[in-house]
Amino acid sequence: MNGPLIVQSDKTLLLEVDHEQADACRRAIAPFAELERAPEHIHTYRVTPLGLWNARAAGHDAEQVVDALVAYSRYPVPHALLVDVAETMARYGRLRLLKHPTHGLVLETSDRPILEEILRSKKVQPLVGARIDPETVVVHPSERGQIKQTLLKLGWPAEDLAGYVDGEAHPIELHEDGWALRPYQTQAVEGFWHGGSGVVVLPCGAGKTLVGAGAMATAKSTTLILVTNTVSARQWKHELVRRTSLTEDEIGEYSGTRKEIRPVTIATYQVLTTKRKGIYPHLELFDSRDWGLIVYDEVHLLPAPVFKFTADLQARRRLGLTATLVREDGRESDVFSLIGPKRFDAPWKEIEAQGYIAPADCVEVRVNLTETERLAYATAETEEKYRYCATTDSKRRITEALVARHKGQQTLVIGQYIDQLDELGEHLDAPVIKGETTNAQREKLFEAFRQGELSVLVVSKVANFSVDLPEATVAIQVSGTFGSRQEEAQRLGRVLRPKADGHPAVFYSVVARDTIDQDFAAHRQRFLAEQGYAYRIVDASELLADEDV
Amino acid sequence: MPPDTGHGDSGPRDRLPRGGGPRDGGHGDRSRGDRGRGDGDRRRGVPRTLAEELRTRPDDALAALLRARPDLLSPVPNDLTQLATRAGTRASVVRAVERLDRFAQQTAEALAVAPDPCSYETLRDLLTGDAGPEEPGAPGAPKGAGPTSAPGPTPAPAPASGIGAPLGAEERAAVVAELPRAVATLREQALVWGGDDRLRLVRTARELLAPSPTSPSPTGLGPTVQEATSGMSPGRLQELLAAAGESPTHDPVTAATALAELFRDRARMAALLDGAPEGAAAVLAKLTWGPPYGETSVASPTPPVGWLLDHGLLLPSGPRNVVLPREVALHLRHGRAHRAPEPLAPELSPTIAHDPQVVDNTAAGQTFTALATVEELLGQWETAGPPVLRAGGLSVRDLKRTAVVLDVSEPVAAFWIELAHAAGLVAADGQTDERYAPTPAYDDWLRLPAEERWARLTAAWLPATRTPGLVGGRDSRGRTLAALGPELDRSPAPEVRRRVLELLATLPHGAAAAPDVLLARLRWERPHGHRGATASAAATPGAVSSSGPAYGATASAAAYAPGGAAEAAPTGGDLRSRLARWAVAEAEMLGVTGRGALSAHGRALLERHPDEPTAAGSELASAQAARLLAPLLPEPLDHVLLQADLTAVAPGPLERPLAATLGILADVESKGGATVYRFTPESVRRALDAGRTADDVHTFLTAHSRTPVPQPLAYLVDDVARKHGRLRIGAASAYLRCDDDALLAEILADRRSAGLRLRRLAPTVLAAQAPPDTLLEGLRAMGYAPAAESAEGDVLVSRPEAQRTPPRKPPAPVPEGPPVPDATLLGAAVRAIRAGDLAATAPHKPTAGAGAGPETAPGSRTGTGTGTKAGSGAGSGSAASGDRLPRTTSADTLATMQAAALTGSNVWIGYVNANGAATQRVIAPVRVEGGFVTAYDHTADEVRTYPLHRITGAAELAEDAP
Repeated sequence: MNGPLIVQSDKTLLLEVDHEQADACRRAIAPFAELERAPEHIHTYRVTPLGLWNARAAGHDAEQVVDALVAYSRYPVPHALLVDVAETMARYGRLRLLKHPTHGLVLETSDRPILEEILRSKKVQPLVGARIDPETVVVHPSERGQIKQTLLKLGWPAEDLAGYVDGEAHPIELHEDGWALRPYQTQAVEGFWHGGSGVVVLPCGAGKTLVGAGAMATAKSTTLILVTNTVSARQWKHELVRRTSLTEDEIGEYSGTRKEIRPVTIATYQVLTTKRKGIYPHLELFDSRDWGLIVYDEVHLLPAPVFKFTADLQARRRLGLTATLVREDGRESDVFSLIGPKRFDAPWKEIEAQGYIAPADCVEVRVNLTETERLAYATAETEEKYRYCATTDSKRRITEALVARHKGQQTLVIGQYIDQLDELGEHLDAPVIKGETTNAQREKLFEAFRQGELSVLVVSKVANFSVDLPEATVAIQVSGTFGSRQEEAQRLGRVLRPKADGHPAVFYSVVARDTIDQDFAAHRQRFLAEQGYAYRIVDASELLADEDV
Repeated sequence: MPPDTGHGDSGPRDRLPRGGGPRDGGHGDRSRGDRGRGDGDRRRGVPRTLAEELRTRPDDALAALLRARPDLLSPVPNDLTQLATRAGTRASVVRAVERLDRFAQQTAEALAVAPDPCSYETLRDLLTGDAGPEEPGAPGAPKGAGPTSAPGPTPAPAPASGIGAPLGAEERAAVVAELPRAVATLREQALVWGGDDRLRLVRTARELLAPSPTSPSPTGLGPTVQEATSGMSPGRLQELLAAAGESPTHDPVTAATALAELFRDRARMAALLDGAPEGAAAVLAKLTWGPPYGETSVASPTPPVGWLLDHGLLLPSGPRNVVLPREVALHLRHGRAHRAPEPLAPELSPTIAHDPQVVDNTAAGQTFTALATVEELLGQWETAGPPVLRAGGLSVRDLKRTAVVLDVSEPVAAFWIELAHAAGLVAADGQTDERYAPTPAYDDWLRLPAEERWARLTAAWLPATRTPGLVGGRDSRGRTLAALGPELDRSPAPEVRRRVLELLATLPHGAAAAPDVLLARLRWERPHGHRGATASAAATPGAVSSSGPAYGATASAAAYAPGGAAEAAPTGGDLRSRLARWAVAEAEMLGVTGRGALSAHGRALLERHPDEPTAAGSELASAQAARLLAPLLPEPLDHVLLQADLTAVAPGPLERPLAATLGILADVESKGGATVYRFTPESVRRALDAGRTADDVHTFLTAHSRTPVPQPLAYLVDDVARKHGRLRIGAASAYLRCDDDALLAEILADRRSAGLRLRRLAPTVLAAQAPPDTLLEGLRAMGYAPAAESAEGDVLVSRPEAQRTPPRKPPAPVPEGPPVPDATLLGAAVRAIRAGDLAATAPHKPTAGAGAGPETAPGSRTGTGTGTKAGSGAGSGSAASGDRLPRTTSADTLATMQAAALTGSNVWIGYVNANGAATQRVIAPVRVEGGFVTAYDHTADEVRTYPLHRITGAAELAEDAP
């Protein structure tokens, strides 16, 4: 009775990471428990119905789950929790989605009362068709995703045995010359392929694109890739050409400027969600080819309309890629139910330990506002308060000092407010990349930065995602989208790509003390703190006074 | 020996305690029937009454009786006669019978339908039924205790009805083996006395258990032929005899006996039934296992029923009811009183075997949760205890709130609350606004080690009669039962609880039994109160008889347990089962059991001598249980793990002071074996508010953290501390300000200003605890000339203010007599008087309708005129006229009204108002529709609507009327 695991009555599992059995325990509980927080000493997992059902879907049974809990638990596991685990898992698979030879997609049960119960639900009624026999009911093929989501909410998850369409075959191979998929990438691809559809969570810079490429090479079929913006579309294309047997001609870009449909098509969310006269004109893209695989990049940013389209695509394999599956709108569960459950998740620190991402030093720089600034802040309108304190001159001065301190290192200054960025760009004599910057200009600047011709770049939130800046070692965040946790993580991700010289990255977050900026910063840091990134706090005055901080 | 079965019952009650105990010992209660003169038993030394028999019992047997029936002891009887008398009182017998196990009860029931006295063999045969053909029946009773059940081998061919196969050999053997125990039990409890050749059930028990028309026997047997024919005409009896082919006799008693004799004869009965018409068997089958009463028309029965009635196989018990006589039923049942004798207690199986170690650990984990829950509950109530309802108890809303705080369901919350209450840890505070709050005993309890805290809780739980399971239900008057409220006591609770645990204790260590298994056993041990459940559980399908099960169940429950039934009724009837289920659930929550099996420490709790339930004994057991539990509980820790995400994890229970401090400093995020705390600015501020400084907090964290204090946490504490207390708030009654700080210093230094309690807040501001006017006067007395300031800072101009009342009315004069009426009033009065007069005196055309005859009653009915406006004058008018109300048929009334409405003429009507008072009125109908007449009422001087049905009649006014 001295295991590494403590099972709490609220179904969280606390894992003591320094315990000798911690690794074995982590492997035992990973199939059914979600890693919630991974700070330095004790990791928190949570047992959720969804997690238990996913474990069932992956072939684990309640006995294994209970054994894992009991075997590693330090204290007696509450009996009620064990009973609950067994009962929850027993709910899975009572309903099954099958392909019927004559009726198409059907929902079948071996437990008639359950079918009666769910058919009484007003939410299920519009999704089903005729009753074939007492235990089978027809489901409209287009509602496959919807009904799965609804049943999940009703607590009777359906086991989807209807399979996937193979899609139009297209030969894709990985070109593993001089490089190979990293072990965790291979695991992620396998995990995804085994589960059929789902989400892979990897830290920024850990090579999510390659997981996508790996999945495509496994599927060997036409693929639709959805990305956040044109720049990242180009990067995907570039990366695919470099890493796989695909040629430029086989990869199409479907964006605001170009509308190519090729065996592998990369489309932006923006173009898909463009609405004209109440309809989405680019939706036919989904039907334009017989896609065998759909890849959602940065799935945590999936816009709401895409959720709806995705619900209709349940017969196709779907792969979601993200670093941070936290959504401030709380729609994580929708991502899981529509794209699929989390198939692979690696704690950031673990990948860092393996050397695939650079270690990072996170520093929160607290700036004291001057008397006048404080007064102005105090009297500012509520909705202006954040903007004011996030863009004060004091912050600008300390930012300049930080840039000067890291002179010669590739430095990114990231911010939210264009005025502030323009001003900074002026003071630092550095180019500013913002929404109005053309793609050509952007790529040119990025290239210059990559080549080391430019050492400081000021970017707005347009560069939050999928900007591959290999040698950025310092990032300075001056303002952000309020308390967005995933933005903070994405920005840290900008400097996490492994450095050639193994140099650690530094991530500064400049925060105005005693203002709402500080509160937002605390919230923003939560995700990373839970991933084990301990922020150091440094006073701006010390920083200015002492060169060694 | 004459077949005198009924003799014992009806025999003279000679009260002869030969030993000569005080005859008046049981005065008023001597009509016990168990002393009936025996059947010619005249041997010396054979006791003839229960008292005599008790006298022959050794002391320890008497002690056993008193132990089994402690109610006989209060007060201690003077002598054995009194003891015997008391043992025969109804209340005591009911109590004793209720507490019998299933088989002893069945034995008593069988005795109640057997002749009195009855031999052991007869009794045995009643329980086992007829032997198979090859097996010889029991040898005849030596003393021939009644010819019942023809002890001789009467190989009975299967009755025509074919219902109820004989008992299997194994069951018979079990009954035979267990019967001595059952009889011994009954004897020990003085419910049965007499030797094996002549067992006698005490009369009260017999009355309780024997069938009567109002309360059918639990055996489902009806009255004997003798009883059922008692009211029958001799002629009818003769017919029955004739139909049966018996020789006629004129004595009804002999006739009934002969008939009974026939029914008892298996061979002849079989022959008789063979000749029954089709359908008769089905009718009999319905009634065989009871209830024996059926509903059918006795006067014109269906052919099978008619045949049965003709042969006395069914006897009429009322104009629409028939009854199956006991002898016939016994024949059909193969001589068996019970369909399914239950000689053996149901085994506790199946059981689920767990590893004893796992059981103990699980239970120990649960004890820990229990303690944490109680502490959390009381910690919550320490600051914000819920109010006590006026009727006592906790409101539903407070219970819900508590359940949310504890993160449990409401019934479970009710359990913890009641448990804390039972352990004396929480009580109402007795203030005017009464609230619940922890008691001083709670503080003592908190200081105990965990295992002893648990022992205290279980020690309070085991004997508690309050049943939290009832909370949320309703009492007999439909009021919701509140936690901590009245009427939650159920006296059987401790006994059931202990018994449940004892049953679990009989299982091997680590074995668990499902609640249903335990319930089946408990039901066998104490069947009463569960009759319905027992019947359905024990009987095969189809046992349920024509009259439905409810009848039998409720009737017998009422018969056996007047008190118990009344108590059980509002809660669903099956109180003991519910108590048992609750006990199982509660034991699990308290950690007495783990995974349904009794833990080692739970087992220790039960260890005590069963005969000496003294407090000392159970305390010893508690202490022993606590000792066993102690090593299983995790050691309290003195450290936590601090993490950079501003959480602290206590990987186990914390030492109390540490937990208390941390509880202030951080919010609990997750509970269980470990505790996760989260530091927030609010929580740190709370700690600072509680008087800690930033340094204290830093020292505390460093001292109790195994790991270095993360920098963000240190910053958080410092940040909050830096801001904490920067704004200061205090209360002052007045302030004193002056631009000249020297002057203020002078005032402060002046000794006379001490009474004003001034304090310098700033160089130019003093705060005073004295109110402004006192301050003003004080300063003036000191020779200053202060001016008062308004809230806006203006100088208040002070002038003596003239006082005013709120607006008031001058008093009104009180003249003598009523005021002089004005012209309008006078006019109206005159008009009213006239109209009333008109109504009373108006000459009207004679009505020609049928109802227009002379009417005598109206004089009394027309007197009041209530319901009309005051001064309508109708009453006075009618009194003067002495006239009757107009009476016309409704058709005429309607016609008259319609005509009047058309012509616009007045009619005279009689009208009965809503209070039943009749008046006469003169009206001018305007409209007649929908059963209403709208008319101008001259009497009331306004337009009114009259329901037509209230109008007794109408007449046109004579032409000369106005």
